[in-house]
Amino acid sequence: MAGSLGIKVARIVIVVAVFAAWELLSRTGMVNPRLLPSASDTLATLWELLQRSSVRNDLAVTASEVLIAFILAVPVGAVIGFAIAENRYFAEVAKPLLFFAFSIPKSIFLPMFILVFGVGFSQKVGFGFFSTIFIVIMSTTTAVESVKVDHLTVARSYGATPLQTAWRVYLPSMLPVLLEALRISMIFNLTGVILAEMYASRDGIGHQIATWGENFQMKQLLAGVVMIAAIAMTFNELVRSVETRCSHWRT
Amino acid sequence: MQPLANITPLKPAPRAGAIKVGNVGQVFKTSTQDVVALSDISLEVKPGRFVVLVGPSGCGKSTLLMMMAGLRQQTSGTILINDAPIPEPDPNRVGVVFQEASLFPWLTAEENVEFPLALRGVAKAERRAKAEDALKLVGLEGFGKRHPHELSGGMKQRVSIARGLVQDPPVLLMDEPFAALDEQTRMTMGDELLRIWAATGKTVVFVTHSLTEAVYLADEVIVMSARPGRIVDQLTIPLPRPRTYEMLSGDTFGTLRDRIWRHIRKSA
Amino acid sequence: MSSTTLRRLIVISLILLWEVLPRAGLIPELFLPSLSSTLAAGWNEAGEYGHALAVTLYEVAISMVFACGGGILAGAIVGSLPGPRILIMPMISSLYAVPLVILYPVFTVWLGIGSESKIAFASIYGFLPTMLATAAGIQTIDPQLVLAARSMGATLSQRLIRVIIPAAIPTVLSGLRVGGALVIVGVVVSEMLISSAGIGYLISRYRTILDSQHVFAGVLLVLAMAIAFNAAIKWIERKASIWQTGTRAGQRAAEDIPVTAIQPAT
Repeated sequence: MAGSLGIKVARIVIVVAVFAAWELLSRTGMVNPRLLPSASDTLATLWELLQRSSVRNDLAVTASEVLIAFILAVPVGAVIGFAIAENRYFAEVAKPLLFFAFSIPKSIFLPMFILVFGVGFSQKVGFGFFSTIFIVIMSTTTAVESVKVDHLTVARSYGATPLQTAWRVYLPSMLPVLLEALRISMIFNLTGVILAEMYASRDGIGHQIATWGENFQMKQLLAGVVMIAAIAMTFNELVRSVETRCSHWRT
Repeated sequence: MQPLANITPLKPAPRAGAIKVGNVGQVFKTSTQDVVALSDISLEVKPGRFVVLVGPSGCGKSTLLMMMAGLRQQTSGTILINDAPIPEPDPNRVGVVFQEASLFPWLTAEENVEFPLALRGVAKAERRAKAEDALKLVGLEGFGKRHPHELSGGMKQRVSIARGLVQDPPVLLMDEPFAALDEQTRMTMGDELLRIWAATGKTVVFVTHSLTEAVYLADEVIVMSARPGRIVDQLTIPLPRPRTYEMLSGDTFGTLRDRIWRHIRKSA
Repeated sequence: MSSTTLRRLIVISLILLWEVLPRAGLIPELFLPSLSSTLAAGWNEAGEYGHALAVTLYEVAISMVFACGGGILAGAIVGSLPGPRILIMPMISSLYAVPLVILYPVFTVWLGIGSESKIAFASIYGFLPTMLATAAGIQTIDPQLVLAARSMGATLSQRLIRVIIPAAIPTVLSGLRVGGALVIVGVVVSEMLISSAGIGYLISRYRTILDSQHVFAGVLLVLAMAIAFNAAIKWIERKASIWQTGTRAGQRAAEDIPVTAIQPAT
């Protein structure tokens, strides 16, 4: 891996170049600084925002909504996914319906959540759950299907008990896929909760971003965008690094 | 069967080519070191001969074949096809058949065979006639309208051979063409290839892993060693033609096969 | 009972329940108005919905050109050149994790609340996955096919027109499918958030006055759009089915979209 260091450096250069171009465009006045505050100003604003207790409170609200929706959606979706993957007939019936449910825009049902739950915590959690569950079901079925029949046959022929099969064949085969599923479910979940907050809410970071936008507070708005992007990407990379560690046996 | 007349109505005699390889070397440059893939390869293939290249994996036999096809250039030495170098692919002199069918999946069998003619802008009717002749030659009459995914592995390779022959090149190069086929199909295809070869009289250079296939098909077997690839032995196969299945169990066959195997075991 | 029959029964009974449950008062009409009253509400305001649909379709069409055209082009470039691929692909899939919806307020500040901001947002929303799908697909083109064409003396442009482009068709289709669905989502979501026209706007406006029937009429219209788009793509895929079965890329596209290639379609 002689070139990997060079690639890393090149990536850092690209990121730095983007920020530099952003800074330059704004500083030289090529773009109206009121529409595009400079990168340094935005980062300074971000630092200042993180000191504010109201912003921290918003982040905490969003984080708890995301977590609760996630904790509810993953087991429920996983159980349904297993049931579908293990039963051939059920799978044939349910899969096209699921794919359809998956392909339609969930956001149009957001008003329904508001009509049923009102505007509040449970509405966000409900919508977060709704936007996550389908991807959890689908990834679980993919994970179960990624277990090779050959491996199961080998385990059976050597007299493995069901528990041993689950522990020694299913789990190691599924682990990389499951991690991937967790990562993607989290992306869906976060998007769902933030959209719900932007649409109708009294608190949460998504609500805050929408408000900044309505009031033309570009510094705060961009700082908020950078903040959420950084959080999402950090989480993503964390799970990915675990994935690569677990994936060395995956073919 | 007299398919040759159908393919080249204007040329009564089979057109076969001569190949001369002189002191050819190939060096791959990587970031850390230079790897010598082929070293000082010299060989001569007389017109109309069936020559098989064998050797352990990574001995550069496919690389050598790609250089004869003009798909790759040697670092040193010369390669002459009919007394002229081949700096780039020249379908009028060399046809190539690849490992697994490299047929275009969106074209029918006959469109695949017509493909090299279409590249030259040959008129539709002439193209179609030549393709039909070539398909008939490889025993696929009536299958022209099928797409590759509707054909078996052996049939796909027949289409590939037809495509290699459709421009009537004097030399046919084959890079492990039957490697992906099962044993039975492989044997049948070997016989088929010998029949086509006898009918067209082409010069054939054939790369394979299979020692049995090598001895069964060849006039001459060239054995190569692993990196750096060199020629370690050249055997003339004295078995009479047509080759038959019974020869496989004969003493001559066994002795020749053993001799090749000893070379390969030594260098692997 | 065959699985298809059971599936049809499930769909039919869901539709029936939609009618019966609200009528019987088991679900408040505010939460879920009955199907017939929803359809009636939509029919009574057909002009308004028709106008909104025209606005939305216009935005979808323009965004589709940017997202799919740009995504397929960029994906083809990144996918066929190893340098940019190794450099950029991991960065792009990392960007993928960002909930892009937070960018919409930025666009409204820059471009106003008219169609421009929706088109900008939906184009970006559809661009990344289309590009990723195309780049991944271009890499699955069998290099042997290009080599074979070269051995037959094909020139560079002949290789492009006769080999690479036909071989890339399944990929382009799967890119269109992913990107197009997201463009619809992007337009409707942005209309729902801040705007003054389009179906998303209608849904939001009727929601604020708690007029459920008209909200659901809008929802039905978006569903119909999504279904029509899916059907159109399926039709094209069937037309190009020769490509689908033949190549490795085709086999992948023929299965449903791989889970990893999906943007949060909220």
